[in-house]
This record gives sequence, structure tokens and C-alpha cells, in this order.
Amino acid sequence: MITNVLKDNINNVINNLTDALEAGLALLDKELNILWANKRLSCMLSLPYDPVGRKCREVYKCECQDIQHCSVYQALTTGEKVSCEIKLVTDKGERKYIKNITTPIRDEKDNITHLLKLSLDITRQEEKVHRLSLLRKLAELMQGTLQIDRLLHLILTCVTAGSALGFNRARLFLVEKKQNIVYGKMAVGPSSLEEANKIWNEIADKYEGLEDLVKASAETYRYDTPLHMITRLMAFSLTDEKEIIVSCVNSKKTILEKDAFSNPNIDKKFVNKLGANEFVCVPLVAKNEVIGVICADNVYNGKPITAEQVELLSIFANRAALAIANAEVYRKLGEKNRQLRETRERLIRSERLAVIGNMSAYIAHEIRNPLVTIGGYARILSREYADHKKVKQNTEIIIEEVNRLEKILANIMDFSKPIETVRILTQINELLENTCSLMEPYFKSGHVHLMKKFNPTIPKIVVDPMQMKQVFVNLIKNAVESMPQGGKLLLETMTEDEYVKIDITDTGEGMTPEVMQNIFVPFFTTKVDGTGVGLAVSQKIIDDHNGFVKIKSIVKEGSTFSIFLPIKNAPAELSGGER
Amino acid sequence: MKTILVVEDDKNQLLLYEQELSREGYNIITARDGLEAIKKVREQLPDLIVMDITMPKMNGIEAMGKILSEHKKIPIIINTAYSCYKDDFMSWSANAYVIKSSNLKELKDKIKELI
Repeated sequence: MITNVLKDNINNVINNLTDALEAGLALLDKELNILWANKRLSCMLSLPYDPVGRKCREVYKCECQDIQHCSVYQALTTGEKVSCEIKLVTDKGERKYIKNITTPIRDEKDNITHLLKLSLDITRQEEKVHRLSLLRKLAELMQGTLQIDRLLHLILTCVTAGSALGFNRARLFLVEKKQNIVYGKMAVGPSSLEEANKIWNEIADKYEGLEDLVKASAETYRYDTPLHMITRLMAFSLTDEKEIIVSCVNSKKTILEKDAFSNPNIDKKFVNKLGANEFVCVPLVAKNEVIGVICADNVYNGKPITAEQVELLSIFANRAALAIANAEVYRKLGEKNRQLRETRERLIRSERLAVIGNMSAYIAHEIRNPLVTIGGYARILSREYADHKKVKQNTEIIIEEVNRLEKILANIMDFSKPIETVRILTQINELLENTCSLMEPYFKSGHVHLMKKFNPTIPKIVVDPMQMKQVFVNLIKNAVESMPQGGKLLLETMTEDEYVKIDITDTGEGMTPEVMQNIFVPFFTTKVDGTGVGLAVSQKIIDDHNGFVKIKSIVKEGSTFSIFLPIKNAPAELSGGER
Repeated sequence: MKTILVVEDDKNQLLLYEQELSREGYNIITARDGLEAIKKVREQLPDLIVMDITMPKMNGIEAMGKILSEHKKIPIIINTAYSCYKDDFMSWSANAYVIKSSNLKELKDKIKELI
């Protein structure tokens, strides 16, 4: 009786002792059935049942295919202590990393009778290692991206991707030093809980690794989501210390806000726009300067933001800031490079035009004089032999040919003559309308159906109307001439960015890429009786207006010439135009 | 009969103007450069001058300046292959500016207008 009581007590003590351990314990027989287990094991593995009496591999959800790789079996056969690490998903859906150490238990004759399996939960350590490697991977991804918009998107994707930092939503704000503001640049994340669930399921099904996800999201990123739009509308003055984004910029410190709605120090307008009670703001610091802020929250799954997540986000933000700074430098470099290239091209072009201008003026003069003489005498002959049919006919041919040459010369002389410009504020639609009515008979004779889509809201711009008309006539003529069988001619005006854009579209022959490359070269022509100066002159005029031309063309389908004229020209010119 | 002085360095062209304008019923005298033109004006005082610009010795614009300083009333037509002198303000003192063409109609019309 006493011994039984004692035994019970000892059992209790052992049970309490083993339960107090931070480790799961299980006693196995040689058939690997569980004979006894402590409570901690059930907790650790989130078992909904009592493990006693079950197979070891069933309880531990072992994934090793054959028994040779089973650590417990190895311990049994070798008689040594064997340890191994396994990854499992519990019945509650948690991911866990467990370290198992199996030790054989022997009787007095040194035969193995039982096995003791000790289990340690190493999930947290594993996660730390995983996160470190993740950060490294993200940094690599960011370094490989120099295009700023893609980079920003990549950063936000990393913040929100479940396989990375795993926030629900992330917004990115950038500091604009010149205007002394911080403004919303981009946002990534679902706009509603439904969308969130949908997206998360989709992502889980589709993408394996982070690289995959990032690649795919860059292609599918949509700028019209409500979240993105709301973010784009946010902007705060850097002097407005009450705004949390601003104080994040100014203090250069991470701000974790747990209960924004009841915090009296936070502007409620911002919180309402954000729509989240708990969020974290992390400054993007590059070269000791705050270039932006990332604001992230878990508004949909409502998971509290852990200190660890914040720390990880901070480290990530540092890397991201450096990458943004790099990309910015790269962008500036590219911009400068592009400007340089454009200036060079412009210089070459105007140099070429100048040389050709001088030369053609000289040649034109030298040829025109003898032509005047030849043609003049031919006229005398034609007049004096008016009744001599053959002489008359032949001299008429000379006159005709001389006329043709003179016409070509006139064209070239126009090209070479210095152009006096008169810049006035002009409504392009009117100018186009005017040009069209001028060319009406020309359209009719060419069986061209003219369509006009003039946007009445385009602003007046400062141009030389005569020169611009010349450009329109040249381009419209070209378009009509590319449709010898007739066709449709579409004239369209619109505003695009800082430009008034005029599209001239035909349904004609189109151009091969070789032709497209050369059409602005003076004296290049594909027409039998062309002089090849029309487009060169047009381009020079557009150049002089600080505009540019873009061409789209498909052989046998037609071409579109798009003229871009800047809305804002130099102020001096503008005042001249309004006089 | 009205007298026209045609100033032109190109021999064949000069011949052409001589023939064509004589036919219109004018008395034609000629000069081959600017200096000769000034001399001819002093000697014969024409009713109108047709003046080329690019010529040896003295160009048409300079000659025109000299002639106009002596005889303010003689109408002068500039007849040139270049259109660019149109912008030269010196050429504005001419009564007309004709760009050379094998069709002499414009020149003849301008002469009729000015005489």
C-alpha cells in the first residue's frame, strides 16, 4: 500500500518533471510504437489525440520514404545516439522545425529494449536563419534592378510577399527636396479583404520562389488599384510635424503605431485614409539622408506586427534605400547621356543641313542662270516658229523640262534660304482646318477620304503658323501620295504630357525600316519626281520649335506621323506671341 | 521710246534680255558689271534699270546705291537667281525684286508697271 502510494507519487513527480522540460519526450518500443509521451510533445506537435499506442512516424508526420533514412531506426540498428532535424506542418497548419535526438535504452545484458526520443522546437532559430538568407536574396534582387519604378515595385513586393516580409499592404513615400514635401509614390497590396484572400490563394498556387513572384508581379502590376490611387494622392509638407510620415522622415526612426485611432498625437485624417489602426513606418536612409518612407500594415489578417518583423523591415529598408539611391544615380546618368546624344544628333543634323544649304544655294544659282538663258531662247524659238509644227513641238519640250528644273531649284532654294520666324500664339486645330480647306481639291483628285478628330481642349501654343502650315502641307501631301489608289487620311490632335500631339495617319503603302531611317535625310526620296527636301525641311521646322516627330509604319498598311510640339515654350517667345 | 539699262554679267542671258525687251518696244542699253552700269547711267540716263546682283568688279546692290545717290528717281528692278537678298535691307530700295526665271513674263510685267 505504502509502496503503491510512493510509486504513484514518483510517477507524478516524473510526469511533472518531464512536462516542465522545454522538450518533448517519447518512449518507443523496438517496433517503433509510442509507449509513453510527455504532455509537452503533444503541445509541440499540436496533436489532437493521445500519441500513446500510435506509430512513431504517424505522430511525427515523417516524410522520409524508406526506413533506412529514419533516424529512430538508425538509432535502433546502430545502437548509437542519432539526431536529425525535420520540417512539419501540424494539424493546426503551423510550420515547425523540430530537432529529434533518439537514444537507445539498454537492459542489464546490454540489449536494446527501448528508445527515448527527445524533441526540441527550433522553429524560431530556423526562421531567423531563413530570414537572414531571405534578406540576402532580396538585396541581390534589388541590386540587379536599376530601373527606378521597377525597383520601387520590387521593394514593395518584397515587403508584402508572404514568402518574404509578409505584410498585408505596403506604401512607399518619397521625399522631394526641392518642393520640401514627401509624397505617395506607389502602393502594393489588395484593396479589400476578398481581394486579399483571392490574391493570396492565387499566389500560393502559382509561384514557387520569391524570384518567380517578383518577376510575375512586375509584369502584372496595375497602377489603377484604389490603394495605389489613394496613395498617389497623398502628399505632406516636410514642415508639418504632426503627420506621422513627416516625423518618420525628420526623426530618421522607425515608428511602430499599435493603436492609431486612440493616439491623440496622430492626425486622424491620415489614419482614416490609411484605414489601419496598427502600422509601421520605416525611413529609407541612404548616405545619411532620408529619401523616403515605407508604411506597412496587416489590415486584412489583423496579425499584430511583431518586433522581429519591424526589425527585419528596418534592415530591409536600409538595403532598399541604397538600391534606390543607386538607381537614381543611374537614372540621372542615363538622362544626361540621352540629352548628350540628342544634342549631338541635333548638331550633326543642323551641321549637315547647313552644309547642304550652302552647297545647294551655290549650285542652284549656278544652274539657274544658264537655265534662264536656255528656257528664254526656247521661248523665243517657240514663238517665232509658231507655225512650224515640229520646231514648235520640240521647243515646247525644252520649255517644259526647263520649267521642271526651275521648280526643283525653287524647292531647294527654299530649303537653303534662312528662315525668318514669326512666333505667335496659335490654335493648332484652326491651322490644320485651314490647311485642309486649302488642300480640299487635292484630296478630291486623289480619292482620299479625309477624317478629322480635333480635340477642342488642346491649348494654344507658340509657333510660326506659316512654317507649321508648311509642315502640315508636306506631311499631308506625303500621306496622300502614299495612297495612289486612294484611301483614308486621319488627322488627329490631342495633348500628351507636355506636348500638343498631331497625328497624321494614312492607309497607304507604308515604309520599310530602311526607308524610315532615311526619310529625314535631305535629298532622300522614293518618289519619281520628288526632290527629297519636304521632310527634311519639316523636321528642321519642328526642331526649331523644340518639338519632335515620331513615326509608326507598317508596310502595306499605312503610316502615322506624330508631331509633338511643346506646350510651354520659352517665356520670351510666349510674351512675343501674345503681343 | 523708253530706254532700259540691263546690267548682267552673263553674256548669253544679256543677249536674251536685249532681244526680248527690244521686242516689247524698249531701247536697250547694256552693262556687264556695276562699274560699267554707273558709267552708262551717267552717259545715257535710262528710264529704268534691270540689275543683277552677283557680278564681278562691283555687285548690283553696291552699284544700285551709287546710282540712286546720283539719280534718285530712276526705277530699279533687281533681277537675281537668289531669293536670299530679299532680306537684305539694301535691296529694299529697289522698286521691285524679281527672281530669275526662263519665263520673262514677271520681269516684263514689272517693267510695264514702273515705266
